[in-house]
Amino acid sequence: MKILVPCKRVPDPDQKPRLNADGSNIDDVAVSFILNPFDAIAVEEALRIREVAHPDTEIVAVGICPVDGEAELRTALAMGADRALLVEHAGMSDPWNVARLLAAVVEREQPGLVLMGKQAVDDDSNQTGQFLAALLNWPQATFASQLEFFDGGLRVHRETDLGIEIIRVTLPAVVTADLRLNEPRYASLPSILKAKKKSIEHTTPAELGVALEPRVQLLSMEVVNSQRQCEQVSNAADLLARLREAEVIE
Amino acid sequence: MSENISDVIIIGAGVAGLSTAMQLAKRGASVRVLEREQIGNGSTGRAAGLLGQLRGTSEHTRMLMDGVKIVKELEELADVEIYVQTGSVRVAETPERAREITDLVKIGRSIEFDIDHITIDELAERMPHMHTDDLIEACWCPTDGHLQPSELALAYHKVGKAHGVAYQTNCPVTGVLLDGDKVTGVQTSQGDFHAPIIVNAAGPWSYLVADLAGTTLPNAALGHVYLTTQPNPDHPVDRLSPGFRNRHHRIYGRPENGGLLVGIYGEDCPEYDMDTLPVDFDMSAMKARLDDIHLAMLIHSAQQRFPWINERTPMHVTTGIMTFTPDGRPFCGQLPGHEGLYHCTGFSGHGIVQSPVIGVIMSELILDGKSSYDIESIEADRYWEVPGFQDRVEIKERCYKMQGSYYGRVEGEISGTS
Amino acid sequence: MKTLVLMEHDGVALRSGSGEALGFARAVTEDVTALVLGEGIAAMTAEASKFAPVLAADNAALANSVADRWAHVIAEVARNHNAELVVATSTTWAKDIVGRAAGLLGGAMASDVIGHELEGGELRLRRPMFAGAITATITLKGSPQIITVRSSAYDTPAPAATPFAINAVSVDVDALPSGMELEGVDRRIDARPDVTEARIVVSGGRAFKGSEDYERLVGSLADRLGAATGSSRALVDAGITPNSLQVGQTGKIVAPDLYLALGISGAVQHLAGMKNSRVIAAINRDPDAPIFEFADFGLIGDVYEEVPRLIEQLKSSQ
Repeated sequence: MKILVPCKRVPDPDQKPRLNADGSNIDDVAVSFILNPFDAIAVEEALRIREVAHPDTEIVAVGICPVDGEAELRTALAMGADRALLVEHAGMSDPWNVARLLAAVVEREQPGLVLMGKQAVDDDSNQTGQFLAALLNWPQATFASQLEFFDGGLRVHRETDLGIEIIRVTLPAVVTADLRLNEPRYASLPSILKAKKKSIEHTTPAELGVALEPRVQLLSMEVVNSQRQCEQVSNAADLLARLREAEVIE
Repeated sequence: MSENISDVIIIGAGVAGLSTAMQLAKRGASVRVLEREQIGNGSTGRAAGLLGQLRGTSEHTRMLMDGVKIVKELEELADVEIYVQTGSVRVAETPERAREITDLVKIGRSIEFDIDHITIDELAERMPHMHTDDLIEACWCPTDGHLQPSELALAYHKVGKAHGVAYQTNCPVTGVLLDGDKVTGVQTSQGDFHAPIIVNAAGPWSYLVADLAGTTLPNAALGHVYLTTQPNPDHPVDRLSPGFRNRHHRIYGRPENGGLLVGIYGEDCPEYDMDTLPVDFDMSAMKARLDDIHLAMLIHSAQQRFPWINERTPMHVTTGIMTFTPDGRPFCGQLPGHEGLYHCTGFSGHGIVQSPVIGVIMSELILDGKSSYDIESIEADRYWEVPGFQDRVEIKERCYKMQGSYYGRVEGEISGTS
Repeated sequence: MKTLVLMEHDGVALRSGSGEALGFARAVTEDVTALVLGEGIAAMTAEASKFAPVLAADNAALANSVADRWAHVIAEVARNHNAELVVATSTTWAKDIVGRAAGLLGGAMASDVIGHELEGGELRLRRPMFAGAITATITLKGSPQIITVRSSAYDTPAPAATPFAINAVSVDVDALPSGMELEGVDRRIDARPDVTEARIVVSGGRAFKGSEDYERLVGSLADRLGAATGSSRALVDAGITPNSLQVGQTGKIVAPDLYLALGISGAVQHLAGMKNSRVIAAINRDPDAPIFEFADFGLIGDVYEEVPRLIEQLKSSQ
């Protein structure tokens, strides 16, 4: 079986994002990038699938980023992915175009499963996996917190507002990973050194036969002031009233 | 202290700045601490705090022992536990490393420090989670342990506040005000503040503060990493199990939150140019990449001594930035060319445990012009105009080499700091 | 703008929150139609008809909200209806199903919208990015535009005096995809949620003198709120709470909607474990405790007095 794992390069979510001079976009000069944490979870799940029951699984990581953005794909390789493919594209890419590019890669690679993060921690859209499933006309299992294979497909636990929903889907399918699916592994020293030597294949949207058609136009961005101002309350009743106003308790 | 004038301004609210502020305030000075981000949230908040009191010189050892006394007082005053007296062990697997331990025991005995050889069997009993089959020598220091960095910072802050120290957070210093070569104050994002005495306790950023004053401080910002295993019933680590140092594998550690903390002074480490980091850089938000090679080296090394640790072991990884100097000793005092600008930085991975006495030393230097301790080896101007220590590239290289040599040297004098 | 608003329900009634999608739609246009899918949805369509004309796709094949079938029907209705705008409230249901529908409709989608402006016919949308650290203003290119809105950003409109018409939508069952099946839903009424998953964490520090006090005060308050319990290092070191409850740099790292820090001074290593919480409230006897620098709400007081008061107040209002 082949598992395709889309891997997005995102600014480190633990550092505060800063805007460029005209406020039109994120200032990516001093940004440190990492592998999207939800995609790391997807890579980890693919590795576990291989380790636990499917030793012949080939795991292919695919990234859509500028030509010099190989580092995050190397993270996936260091964790244990077999191959990596980089689709060269600089600038913003909205979920629709990412999904179309991924669909073209799926066409090329013919995986039996696409396993990806439920959302990227920069734009937080939570759309790409669903768009991809629609384009491919494949079943989807979003916000997966547990995956099992059974004869005929996948049984997936999904995290929803109402609790855990359990569904069955036939393969091939698109699964998007939620936080509690697993804890991604650190790469071992030999694995990191081996990954450094691997060559990452590059391709382009043109080579994949995809003409990009932007659906989202970014007009401006604003930093939200996250400085907490402590409001002193005088008693317990007051505190509860404030917390109710903030809609954190009922 | 008036609106923006005080006797002393301290730049940096890590343990060095907080300790100095407290000691100065106790002696009646009006002190304002200016912190770029949040109190104790720089290197202080990332430190492991291991206390190995025995150093290459008796003076240095005395400083650390005196520090423990100050800490015990702070614990009372601030009602917080800081000093965890677990004792510590050093272990050796080769004749060369065994000789290091023997030499250390000799030095310790000569200054009446509590240290002794122990058999490998005794070691194994004290450290059931450690692989000891290949060890040939070990020693035990019952009065060692660790200082909890956050709690220490909390105590300095609390006691300092009680003595009138004013703290300003989210207040990066953007300029040093000079009248000829006298400092008169600083410019910050929140306006100007004035004082005839300024203490540069800005840790990794301290060389940038020195640059603002037009002077060169030969220290460098280097990255560090340690892991903390999550509690594992198959390999329990008692809360009071000894701290350890295993120089051959370049690792050190101690118990932490039911698991084992293991850190490394590797041959390589990341280097940081602090001016490329954002002004409000949050060090507590640093995280290791999944394929961080320094972490992988740490895990590999830890595994040699603790075979149950590997890259799949549930663990927390703490990365941070330390301030190293070319000889591993801090810079405490003034540099020629400026009057009133005191540097207090470059603790090279031992800031937590040196901070209690450093605060005393700094307050003595500032208020009395001299210290009751022998501070020759930590004078700030020891590299002043020395060739090879002026250019930032050279400085970084020397500091980088010092870090790499921490556990590297075998022959001759034991590296004075580890 | 012809707008279709998807009304989420749980098989019994419309979900609170689906009204907010209507609120957004109404703010943008007059031409609003509600769409309800499912089986046996008479009660839901009746409720929806108080706010807008309703299209009802009532069919056994839609008994469970399975993404491939539902998205297929939603997309078809949107096309037949010539919808220019398709709206829903941003819930996991909407992300899953409306997301897929948007993929079938050309992908001009904006999720989790928290505000908007209509500038000369152009719909400008504000949405959070970078976990809410940034608000982005965007426009969508293409038609239909599919928008999910955060329920807290909009209000349900007032119901009309007379209900609107309900029209049935026929479903071509044979054309529906069949790769997905619902097995069941586990509503998870847990004893006490895990500290890393809970929406609310009630955490105790040094002020608590023993495990009985901790359980009686921190534990009871947590149970009243359906919250998880946590603790600072001091209690773990004193043997009052287990390691597993320690919130901090080398313990649990949590980001709940509400973190209640009770008798916790706020040492840096503890803050590292909880400072991404949405709302932080602290109770401490010491007005200088560093925790107050990081809290949204602070109560200076003795936890032994204030926590029982909180529990009492919650009891009487529940």
